[in-house]
Amino acid sequence: MDNVLKVAGLRKFYGGLEALKGIDFEVGRGEIFALIGPNGAGKTTALRIVATLLSPSDGKVTFLGYDLKKQPEKFREKISYLPEEAGAYKNLKGTDYLKFMAKFYAKSDKELGEFIKRAQDIADLGTRLNEKAGTYSKGMTRKLLLARALMTRPDLAILDEPTSGLDVINALEVREIVKRFAKEGISVLLSSHNMLEIEFLSDRVGLIDKGRILDTGTPEVLKEKYKARNLEEVFRSALQ
Amino acid sequence: MNKFLNLLYKEIKELVTLQLLISLLFTIFLFYFIGQMAKTEMKKAMRTQKIAVLNLDDSPFSEQLIGNLKTANFEPQMVKERDKQRAIDETKATDANLLLVIPQGFGQSLETQEIKEIETYSYLRTFSLVGSRSSVIINAVIKAINEYLSNDYLKKKIPDLSPEKIKNPIKSKDFVIVKDRMAEGKAEAVAGFVSSQSLFVPIILMMMIIYASQMVISAIAMEKQNKTLETLLTVPISRTSIVTAKMFASGIVGLISAVIYMFGFRYYMSGFMGDISQAAAASGVTGVIQKLGLALDTKGFIILGISLFIAILVALALATILGVLAEDYRSAQSLLLPLMFLVMIPYFLSMFADPKTLSLPAKILLYAIPFSHPFLTTQNLFLENYGAIVYGILYMIAVFIVLIIVAARIFSTDKVLTMKLKFRKKKVQF
Repeated sequence: MDNVLKVAGLRKFYGGLEALKGIDFEVGRGEIFALIGPNGAGKTTALRIVATLLSPSDGKVTFLGYDLKKQPEKFREKISYLPEEAGAYKNLKGTDYLKFMAKFYAKSDKELGEFIKRAQDIADLGTRLNEKAGTYSKGMTRKLLLARALMTRPDLAILDEPTSGLDVINALEVREIVKRFAKEGISVLLSSHNMLEIEFLSDRVGLIDKGRILDTGTPEVLKEKYKARNLEEVFRSALQ
Repeated sequence: MNKFLNLLYKEIKELVTLQLLISLLFTIFLFYFIGQMAKTEMKKAMRTQKIAVLNLDDSPFSEQLIGNLKTANFEPQMVKERDKQRAIDETKATDANLLLVIPQGFGQSLETQEIKEIETYSYLRTFSLVGSRSSVIINAVIKAINEYLSNDYLKKKIPDLSPEKIKNPIKSKDFVIVKDRMAEGKAEAVAGFVSSQSLFVPIILMMMIIYASQMVISAIAMEKQNKTLETLLTVPISRTSIVTAKMFASGIVGLISAVIYMFGFRYYMSGFMGDISQAAAASGVTGVIQKLGLALDTKGFIILGISLFIAILVALALATILGVLAEDYRSAQSLLLPLMFLVMIPYFLSMFADPKTLSLPAKILLYAIPFSHPFLTTQNLFLENYGAIVYGILYMIAVFIVLIIVAARIFSTDKVLTMKLKFRKKKVQF
């Protein structure tokens, strides 16, 4: 599997605070790579750097051969980012929001139509898409945002807690959608507290704590290595 | 360009909310309503007013005085009571707001040139304009009667000379000079007209600057509050376009809102002041104003427009930076305060002070605030201080360039997400 995203020696400082202490990981094409760790471990910072929101203090991030520091605009054309606490424009209808976002990526009206159609299928909100996003529940907003993130079929989808705020049924649906898109060749970099979700979704995981990656591998390999029944036990053992 | 238009369209759609439209309509209605009320009250004050008259004199002079009141738009109602206290009580029960008591011997005292007092009792039944109007007019009537009686006396005593010449042996012919232009007229009338006509200019400037700034600062704060900024910053469009689209949209919506407010405000002011241009035409000041070049022509309006436009750009750039510091919509409103001060200082100084007579520190402060320059433009246009206008415009352009570079730099770095003026304890998510 060729690695489309390569992160090497990534460090990030917030003033005097070192949030990332030189992390390395890679994501292959069509692979789902998850960063798991407790609050404050550095997951969101790592995702925000790859999403071009934050600049790295040190280290190198390349995606499809593009350097993040030198060509962030090339990154933005190829990636799509779903923040953990994201919202939609309350004054726009669901469809208008999707159209607004799709226009940044579509090269023709035909492509724009395809993006919107795909988003409507993913969101599965029916006629509610014709209502203002301000009237949506948290779960509906999350589905709309996931649809927005995947509708353009980006080369890399960066999903921060993708099922955050969703009920069990909706969370299951979202996981299925993410898996389906990965099978179609979209690389996924995600983070979650939910280790069971990660175990179900990810091809490989990176265990992160206090700004360092403790270990990486497939869930099966890690479970075997740490002689654990699940990823939660793996994480506990890795910490020890 | 398409991406930019897409963004601009979204920004405008986000700003033009139902709340904004309702607030605009409500304000116009409110201004219009108050203006109409004031106009009606003014009309009431101007129409024929009933006054009660207790004539204890019954001489031809007192009859003449009552006759004069009729010609001065009063409707005298004679009080039957001969006792003053009872007359006061009787009038209280009527709708007359003034009781005029002509004392006994009034006519005789006039003939012997003795000063005799007539008494007036004003009933303040309301503190509105109508309430105070009657005493103002009665004073004018008494003044007119005094004029008539003194002229009459002088004519009798010195029939060869005109009373006017005796009372005013010196007459003045007044001229007003502005720069190299001169016209015959009274300085106070010209100054009064110019200040009343240009009263709206600083208000318009202030409202436009504050409105546009409020729009952009809220637009950025709302992106943060609604958690949409992070997503927007990862789409393939330059950060400069994001900043520019927000500024453009806020500028457009802010300008439209300010213009709508101004229409409402004009209704409101015309209720109190009446039509200024009509008043000026009636008093004959218009000709003097035109001769002195104290009316804004097309060129003047264009220069004022350019100055205002650049001031708005400065305000938008400054508000963009302040917007980044805001955590949410509420804190954005607090951050607008320093900008409002920067607009209010030149607003009041331009209305109540002469920049030339200010102390040096005050003068430096005034000229250092970029928003001072459009406020001073009208005065500078009238006085043909084109150098000051050009300096003001160039200074504002320089400030704008610096601010826009800072704003674009903030938006292209982490600072757009990490730079905050927190009123609560800082919380960073890793």
